[in-house]
Amino acid sequence: MNRFNHLPTLKVDSASKIAFVYKGKKYYGAKGDTIATALFANGIRIFSRSLKYHRPRGLYSLDGECSNTCMEVDGIPNVRCENTLLKDGMVIKEQNVKGSAQNDMMGFIDKLDWMMPAGFYYNTMHKPAKIWPIAMKQIRKAAGLGTLSPDFDMPGRYDEIYPTADVVIIGGGPAGMTAAIEAGKKGLRVILMESRPWLGGCFEYRSREYQNRQTLNERAHQLANEVNALDNIRVFTHTSAVGVYNNNLVTGFQIGQEEDPFTERYLEIRATSIVVAAGCIERPLIFDHNERPGVMQAACALRLAKTYGILPGKKAVFSVGHDFGLEAAIELHDLGLPIACIADIREDGQDPFLMKRIQAKNIPFHKGWVANTTHGQKEVKAVTLSGIDGLITKKVNCDLLVASAGMTPVTGHITVNQGKLCYDSHTNFFLPKEMPEKMHAAGTLLGLTDPVSIETSGKLAGLKAAFDCENCSIKDIGDAKKELEALPGPARGSKLVTAPVQGRKSFICFDEDTTIKNIKQAIDKGFDVPELIKRFTSAGTGPGQGGIPGHNLPLYVAKYQALQDISIKPTTVRPPLVPTGISTYAGTNHKMFKITPMDDMQRKDGGIFRNIGVWQRARYFSSDLSCKKEIENVRSNVGMLDGSTLGKFRIHGPDALKALQRVYVSDMSKVKEGRIKYSAMCNDDGCVIDDGVVVKQGENDYYFTTSTGRAGQTVEWIRYHTRYDGWDFSLVNLTDSMGVINLSGPNARKVLEKVVDIDVSNEAFGFSEYKAFKIQDTIPVKAMRLGFVGELSYELHVPSSYMKAVWLMLKDAGQEFNIQNFGVEAQNVLRMEKCHIILGQESEQRTNLLDVGLGFLWDRSKTDTKTVGTVALRQAESDQSRFRLVGFEMENNGRAPRDGSLIVDTKVRGYVCTARDSFSMNKAVGMALVEAPLADIGTRLEIFEDECGDERIYGKVVKMPFYDPSGQRMKM
Amino acid sequence: MALTITCPICGKRNGYEFRYGGEEKGPRPDEAGLTPEAWCDYVHMNNCVAGVQEEWWFHKDGCGSWFKIHRDTTTNLEIEQTEATE
Ligand SMILES: [Zn+2]
Repeated sequence: MNRFNHLPTLKVDSASKIAFVYKGKKYYGAKGDTIATALFANGIRIFSRSLKYHRPRGLYSLDGECSNTCMEVDGIPNVRCENTLLKDGMVIKEQNVKGSAQNDMMGFIDKLDWMMPAGFYYNTMHKPAKIWPIAMKQIRKAAGLGTLSPDFDMPGRYDEIYPTADVVIIGGGPAGMTAAIEAGKKGLRVILMESRPWLGGCFEYRSREYQNRQTLNERAHQLANEVNALDNIRVFTHTSAVGVYNNNLVTGFQIGQEEDPFTERYLEIRATSIVVAAGCIERPLIFDHNERPGVMQAACALRLAKTYGILPGKKAVFSVGHDFGLEAAIELHDLGLPIACIADIREDGQDPFLMKRIQAKNIPFHKGWVANTTHGQKEVKAVTLSGIDGLITKKVNCDLLVASAGMTPVTGHITVNQGKLCYDSHTNFFLPKEMPEKMHAAGTLLGLTDPVSIETSGKLAGLKAAFDCENCSIKDIGDAKKELEALPGPARGSKLVTAPVQGRKSFICFDEDTTIKNIKQAIDKGFDVPELIKRFTSAGTGPGQGGIPGHNLPLYVAKYQALQDISIKPTTVRPPLVPTGISTYAGTNHKMFKITPMDDMQRKDGGIFRNIGVWQRARYFSSDLSCKKEIENVRSNVGMLDGSTLGKFRIHGPDALKALQRVYVSDMSKVKEGRIKYSAMCNDDGCVIDDGVVVKQGENDYYFTTSTGRAGQTVEWIRYHTRYDGWDFSLVNLTDSMGVINLSGPNARKVLEKVVDIDVSNEAFGFSEYKAFKIQDTIPVKAMRLGFVGELSYELHVPSSYMKAVWLMLKDAGQEFNIQNFGVEAQNVLRMEKCHIILGQESEQRTNLLDVGLGFLWDRSKTDTKTVGTVALRQAESDQSRFRLVGFEMENNGRAPRDGSLIVDTKVRGYVCTARDSFSMNKAVGMALVEAPLADIGTRLEIFEDECGDERIYGKVVKMPFYDPSGQRMKM
Repeated sequence: MALTITCPICGKRNGYEFRYGGEEKGPRPDEAGLTPEAWCDYVHMNNCVAGVQEEWWFHKDGCGSWFKIHRDTTTNLEIEQTEATE
């Protein structure tokens, strides 16, 4: 197809060639094309089949108000082709068709519409209930909007930005640009958002005179230049505002240009004031077969020619209800489109200037006429026009029917921010009545059509926004108001919603195939307001976010019920106002985790890493996931574990002890210098949330550890529970600035004594003792003798920057003993054999301190400290219905059950916390939380594993701990 | 999402930076003579005001302090303290 190449309004480079594949065949579009315009230029007229009836659908608007042009592009379904720019090599497929959109084998369903009244599925598919799953599968096969492979990986880069601004302007048309210029000239920081890839709005593609022989198109460029000349206006094109929230928060998404480093990016803008100049969309005219390919809106037809250089048809009929429709007809006629006739819904009130031009061009013109029905198999071949009363009719051959009932203001940004709309009979618009605080409306959405009025309304809104930013006088606003009042006001709008038809094939919503007949059925069933009708008929629930039914639905509902006073409101619109990809909301960088100072060395040593909470940790050091060698090495020799993820804190100051007393269940006044105190924290329900050790470093100065998972919340927790007390203490989170090396095994002392200068003999540095010293007079170390894994063990807390150095010293010193790494899984088994619990494994949210056998930590004499959890613990003490932590071994040398397996009889009686085949014990052992009657030694436990069917495995309750019950090995 | 909160140390900041800490209920009651019911009420029961409520927030991505603000739960907007106490 030949394209215009001389028009000043063109946004495509007609000479360029961009190759793409559509239905397996190669086509060419032009640079600047959307997918839809490229297809249209290649003669494609049927873009898709409708959701329910599989009716052919074509290009209708160009701004994505309906799903007509949704297709699968490069594997992504439901791409709105009229909003998506064509890129080289795109692969485009149709969706929801059996065969092709041209010849859809499901097309026969359109003939069965009489079987499917509104609410058909609700009324038929619920009895008997077992039909539903079967019926659902068939319906889903026939209906639906594309499919996505479950392992599809979304290509592209998705970004997010959070700018702030004094004024955000939604809409880069003449009103929005004028508002931006006014606010910008006052030095305010302005953000201008425009959903199309360029500024200009409804001026951009029109050649009508603005003033003094300047066209609207030229005027748009002049305004855009003024906007771009102001450095304090940040322009976002191809950016839709999709939400407005209180506090003037505006969200949107921007589609990246080819040179941008993002495919799409999410915007969240905080503004002092907002101007909404989102303009209008056209109001669909409803008649029989009003969505047959070949029917399109006036702006769609005009923009195809003037923006994309494509003549939209060979012979056209116009059925319009506004002066813009007449303007479009004249422009298209002048570009060479033969026009059979224009039917104008209005009996009078047309712009005399336009009328004169139509007469001069000898275009037949019918006042008070409207399109009644289109004819043709798949595409429009002819149209029957009628008077608006329907009494006289006339059939006209054509391949293009330009149909538009008028304009509909885009008010979503106002109503999602709790602004109220009210019906206005002059414009036939729902106009903003109560604007939210610091939000102002401007432009055509107020019903203005005069170009100077549109701009002046933008000026007024820009000044009001500047006033919100304390940057404009009341007088300036008053002057602008007077200026606007002297100009032409809103134009009278046509009131007709539907042609005089029965409405069986008159579609009010294209996405959901809802007809006027369906709406009547819903109203006749008693659903008398748009919100209910929407849900019963699903009108407006499709991907177009209600763009097509929009304000037609409330207007039709009022008309059908013969309501004099139109108090009926449009249905509520909600963000996102424009369909937004989930990938855009998800943003970038989903694989975030922390690493320890030892990360690279542990990887070099063959560590197999797993995400554990916010960290990546070395879980195994060989492909043997039972960790036999790692475990045996710790039990018989010496091993090293990177424990840097442990929570580490310093609390100091005059009231530090009081704060510790508040959150720890033990009496922390008994913490002695040089000794380690093990204790636990509970929440107000007595449930245990953390355990760790506390050491005293000096007067009013303590160092304590928390479990890895609790490190992030500890500061918040302690400050929360002391927030009324006004205590004087400082709390420092040292988790990331300190690393931890766990040196464990019978040979641990022999390794350590080679590295440090202090005496580490059992007499000088005994079990449960704490020492702070320096290695080589330089590296400060806090050392604790603990026994988590049940062997002689030193926990060395070292500044993160020295971690590798100390690690290598120990590794060097340990070489003669063949020191080895051990990972988190080996530690897990070692400590389990000792029945040392890990919170979150041997506990869940409801497990209290007493349940896990840590009751001995609780100092009951501490009553005046208001310790968190003790009130609840007193209550729970006498409660026999609680779970108990028990140790068990498997019967008959059986294997260990999986963690989380259930303990059952006729009911669930508990669950397995951790269980492993223990090499140290030579049998499978574990810990479980069970109901009290099952907690006695010797009780047989019946264990149910997932997917084991009727099979059960059995264990019996035994004494804890399993390994070294006297604790000799960790004290040696 | 749209909420902003004024931290006494850091000023007016994005609501994302804070964690909600519940309604203002006064200090922890003394344990002497405390009934389980009274304790349960203190810990778990809320007034759920439709209107202005005094409540605790923690500046987790900021200075790490706990403080109180007044917020209108019907608009989800912070109310200035002077207004709220009128
Ligand atoms: Zn702060």
